[in-house]
Amino acid sequence: MNHITLTLVVVVVSLTGLFGQNYAYQTFKDRRVINTQSVETLPARTMDIRIAHRFGDFAGRNGGEPTFFGLEFAEDVAIGAEYGITDNLMVGFHRSKGAGVVPNGPSGLRQLWTLNGKYRVLRQTDLVPITITLSGMTTFSSAQQVEVQPDDAPSIIQNFPEFGHRFAHNVQLLIARKFSPAFSLQIIPSYTHRNLVAFNDENGIFSMGVATRVQISKVFGIVADATFPFSDFRTSDNNFYPAIGIGLEMETGGHVFQVNFTNATAIMETDYIPYTTSNWLEGQYRLGFTISRQFRL
Amino acid sequence: MRQAYWTFGVVLVAWWGVQALSLPKKAPLVAGPDTLLSEVYEELGAEVPNRPNYALEGVSAEAGRSIVVDGKTVSPSGEVTGRQSKHFVCTSCHNIEREDPDLTVSDPQARLMYVQGKGLPFLQGTTLYGAINRTSFYNGDYQKKYGDLVRPARNDIREAIQLCAIECSQGRPLEDWEIESVMAYFWTIGFKIEDLGLSESEMQGVNDALAGKGDQAAAATLLQSKYLSGSPASFVDPPPDRKAGYEELVGNPENGKVVYDLSCMHCHDKQRYSMFNLDNSKYSFQFLKRHFNRYTRYSVYQVSRYGTSPMAGKRSYMPNYTFEKLSHQQMEDLKAYIFEMAD
Repeated sequence: MNHITLTLVVVVVSLTGLFGQNYAYQTFKDRRVINTQSVETLPARTMDIRIAHRFGDFAGRNGGEPTFFGLEFAEDVAIGAEYGITDNLMVGFHRSKGAGVVPNGPSGLRQLWTLNGKYRVLRQTDLVPITITLSGMTTFSSAQQVEVQPDDAPSIIQNFPEFGHRFAHNVQLLIARKFSPAFSLQIIPSYTHRNLVAFNDENGIFSMGVATRVQISKVFGIVADATFPFSDFRTSDNNFYPAIGIGLEMETGGHVFQVNFTNATAIMETDYIPYTTSNWLEGQYRLGFTISRQFRL
Repeated sequence: MRQAYWTFGVVLVAWWGVQALSLPKKAPLVAGPDTLLSEVYEELGAEVPNRPNYALEGVSAEAGRSIVVDGKTVSPSGEVTGRQSKHFVCTSCHNIEREDPDLTVSDPQARLMYVQGKGLPFLQGTTLYGAINRTSFYNGDYQKKYGDLVRPARNDIREAIQLCAIECSQGRPLEDWEIESVMAYFWTIGFKIEDLGLSESEMQGVNDALAGKGDQAAAATLLQSKYLSGSPASFVDPPPDRKAGYEELVGNPENGKVVYDLSCMHCHDKQRYSMFNLDNSKYSFQFLKRHFNRYTRYSVYQVSRYGTSPMAGKRSYMPNYTFEKLSHQQMEDLKAYIFEMAD
């Protein structure tokens, strides 16, 4: 059995370089679409400094002119760096505020330190129809432990009974195809595990994401993504909603700048997949942006 | 007794003479097609200033090739050296094979056809093939770009290599053993006799000179006349009227495609040496067309003739094309191709 597994691993890893140089380049322009990861990895020895921001509700009860369409609030902010070890393997480290919240319940983790990595297993070429990338991340909360009364302890996760409760994890299989220079499509089976959750919530969540990119000129592209948790608990009846985003991407040499609208308040997978409780239809979407600047080291 | 001494001495001298006459002598070099020109010069007693210094520890042609092609090599202590440049390697801008059909002229169109036939890129820098045989570097208008930095490099290939390492490739200075290794590699890719296109009688004259039966200085002069001692470099401006183009030349899109494929795509395809990606999609051609006649950093006229500058945080830049590396006609050909593909 071990031999079969090892052989499979060797074969899959070998596939990455098997089919020459005529591979699909830039299925997506950035390592992230909007909320979701993309199949892209950084080129070897390249560092990407990233800043992402999600403002408050654009419209609805908490948006509109009184909050200048949400610009007065910062739901989540992330700053981080990613580095390409090889053309197919990259790692990243990010600090984000954290924005997840359970409807009418406690908030998710805050003060998040996230370590992520990606490995491109397979690359689309003339012979291979798709690109496959494995992605994983671990998030650690450095939030101060909250002292709680015995009665409400189960519903507040920041009391961190154990150190491991500060962690949440996410793994994804990113599968994408660049159909033409104008159109790319990606699906994202994903599993998220939070070590500690509120009462009645679930630790493990399977989800499926879909993402696309439509190039409209050399510089501009439209991106969109959506993530759907497979859960009886995460339904609109319980005020959970799929995280849906749409954005405009601008690329100049070395820079990718994206302006987007999404109902997800949080930025990291460990945060937005379990905790998206904002509804597009109620105006609970927000302006966001991502700036990416690459440096060759 | 005295007679015996004399006899012994005569016999000794005679024996020494016989031995000296029978010692194997070095056969004169017979130049063939694959003979390195530098070796012929050495045999002819001509000055060969570019001979690598193998006395330094770690010097080898293999190390030099690694530096030229990969930007790094293995140091004498056995460790992999740091990359010479984060942005470029020598072959980003220079071929390492012959790229001119006639070594006595610098004709960009003849070169374009020649490199196309050999599957080589068409680049801003002069090929490193035969560099060891050239005697002047950073010629012509390169002084406009590098100022006094070109002075020591003009007549010294080692200084030229170092200038290229620091300024052109925006990297670290090469250590002495690295430069000598590059020299050792250059020695191996120096011109060969077959490159010079000698006639039979010229070849015979050279071999006669090598055998000591002819004028060695004349033979060396003949060989030097068969190639350029340096690459001319004329910096030229974009056309005064960018819409009208150069001298109302009519572009040939077929030739422009060759320039695009072998020149633009060498660096920009999949962001190989540049952050600015180009491909064969409409998006790329429409973008280039839109900017072609403008006064922007995305104008092909602008960046080809003036290049771009290295900036803090973005040290990789685009070197300009001199007139000898991209003619006005080729520029118009490229424009015609881009406009055709964009429509």
